[in-house]
Amino acid sequence: MKRSYVPVILLLAVLMLNIIFTQYMVHQYFYEHYTNTIIAAVINVILFPIAFLIYKKGVNVND
Amino acid sequence: MAYKNNKIPFDEDNYTHNINRNNERKLDRRGFMKTLVGAAGVFAVSSLPWGAMAAKELAGLGDKKYPKHKITAVKSIAIGDAVDFAFPGEHDSAILIRLSENKYVAYQNACTHLRCPVFWKKDEGEMLCPCHHGKFDVETGAPIAGPPRRPLPEIHVKVENGAVYAVGVKRYEA
Repeated sequence: MKRSYVPVILLLAVLMLNIIFTQYMVHQYFYEHYTNTIIAAVINVILFPIAFLIYKKGVNVND
Repeated sequence: MAYKNNKIPFDEDNYTHNINRNNERKLDRRGFMKTLVGAAGVFAVSSLPWGAMAAKELAGLGDKKYPKHKITAVKSIAIGDAVDFAFPGEHDSAILIRLSENKYVAYQNACTHLRCPVFWKKDEGEMLCPCHHGKFDVETGAPIAGPPRRPLPEIHVKVENGAVYAVGVKRYEA
């Protein structure tokens, strides 16, 4: 049973990006740059299916 | 069910303890990844309202619309003079000041300290609240002296066909 920890690392990276874009989104809203706010929100939403795909791929490999 | 013991009831007392609980609480690699995906989902869902609010601001739904209100004719207000009016409601008293040929400023003239009316002091070039000597900058409405700490709410004005109109209220941020 050989496990791959690459998906775990990738998921952690995705979560870090989530944190970064969330803070960016909130700050851009405060500074009234609403277009940037929407861009950051969309990226945050897109990161979720990416995380789910990484999970799906990672669960079945060598486990 | 290959095996039957032909006894009714069955000779077993395993109805309540038939779940294998070994390692149920252990956080393995898979469980950890599930948690991470769930956290990503929480981030995604929680950013939806921010996107919605930003879209609302971009669409201009956040600005309240008021019908434009004629304050006075340009002829009847000399440079440096002020005129009182009410905007947007009939009890929201406001003041219009003509600073130069083409520069007009208007504020809601309830002092942000205790809502006394604020007057325009032409010779001193500043707006004065006589109750506690609060003073406001006439260009921006910002407080410059006395007890008030917040600026006067600004009213957008527009000159059209020889008359001055109040067209909107600047969003109040303080």
